[in-house]
Amino acid sequence: MRNKALLHPLLVALLLAAAACASPTPNFDRGPELDVITPDALALTIADAAMPAVVNIWASWCIPCRSEAPLLGLAHEKFDGQVTFIGVAVADSQDGARDFIAEFGIEYANYFDRVRSIPASFGRIGVPITFFFDSDGSMIYAHSGVIDERTLAINIDELLAR
Amino acid sequence: MEFTLLAAAALAVIALSLMLRMAPALGVTAAFSRRLTDPAYTAIGFGILVGRLASMIGNGTNPLSHVGDILIIRGGVSTGFASVAAIGAWLYSTRRNLRVAGDAVGVGALVGLAGWHGGCLLRDACAGASTHLPWAISLPGSTVGRHPVELYTAALFIMAALLLRRLPAGSGSAAGWALAAAAAARLVTEPLRLSLGSGPLVWYAAGLVLGLTVAAVAPRYSHRSLEAG
Repeated sequence: MRNKALLHPLLVALLLAAAACASPTPNFDRGPELDVITPDALALTIADAAMPAVVNIWASWCIPCRSEAPLLGLAHEKFDGQVTFIGVAVADSQDGARDFIAEFGIEYANYFDRVRSIPASFGRIGVPITFFFDSDGSMIYAHSGVIDERTLAINIDELLAR
Repeated sequence: MEFTLLAAAALAVIALSLMLRMAPALGVTAAFSRRLTDPAYTAIGFGILVGRLASMIGNGTNPLSHVGDILIIRGGVSTGFASVAAIGAWLYSTRRNLRVAGDAVGVGALVGLAGWHGGCLLRDACAGASTHLPWAISLPGSTVGRHPVELYTAALFIMAALLLRRLPAGSGSAAGWALAAAAAARLVTEPLRLSLGSGPLVWYAAGLVLGLTVAAVAPRYSHRSLEAG
């Protein structure tokens, strides 16, 4: 009986601790406005990189995008110099996109595509989507939905094995 | 909706449910076995909730100001926190018959985990590190051979379940061996999995040590009689 009496206060304390640990309303230092990108410009950017590329389509209002952002950052750190990482914010606002980039400390290049022309050019809808391009610029795999560590790692491994 | 993920989870739940039904063969009464069902599902639900909260906090999202986001499981679930929370909930729910309850579900949990890993076939998610072995599998459109690491893991879980199913229930030893076997199976196969970091090796090593400790220490204490129906 005493254990049950302690349980509710303990749960409330845990929730409050969780709230304290999480950031409330972040006040980030926004970077410059994102350049708008078109499908042709993206193809040129990938070709210029002359290496395999991972292109992540995201939006600041997209909850699964928040989940995978740290993972993509980790992958960028690990494979910097071997794979190019590109982010494209779709159906978003400049302020929202810049806040998202600042919040997650994303260091790879990000662009702006309000009308979703990039995913549409590949016949895809929704967010997030992660495209994998080999060094020739050919898209070898597209993952719709939040990407997990295994899928990201194995597809990068595939890119590097080609 | 990740229907294939749901199918894999359903396979694991079905496997665990079947093993709970078979628990009487281990010396656990059918009545007690039925009483384990609610704690099992409570542990699963609680684990998912804690895992989701941990993922949200880790991503900088305040669960109190984004309460609706808790339900969006596709946003991510921290498997480490979910596992610990589920085990904790299970231990709390069965604290009065901990050893018997642990033994009753230990082998079943191994079968359930085998079902989960075998479900990689539904999700096309069996592949791991590259290899030239004759049984290597490839991703669609790829010529790179890869270890079917999730199938290796499923096979190890099944082997462990077959080895441990004859252990008598009641002392807690079977539960300890099951935990150790599960941790060892993941530890052994982890090098064949691709990841971006070192993987949860510390968790698996801790699980192995804990399981072996429980298996060794539990039988030394006085046995509790198996729960009467």
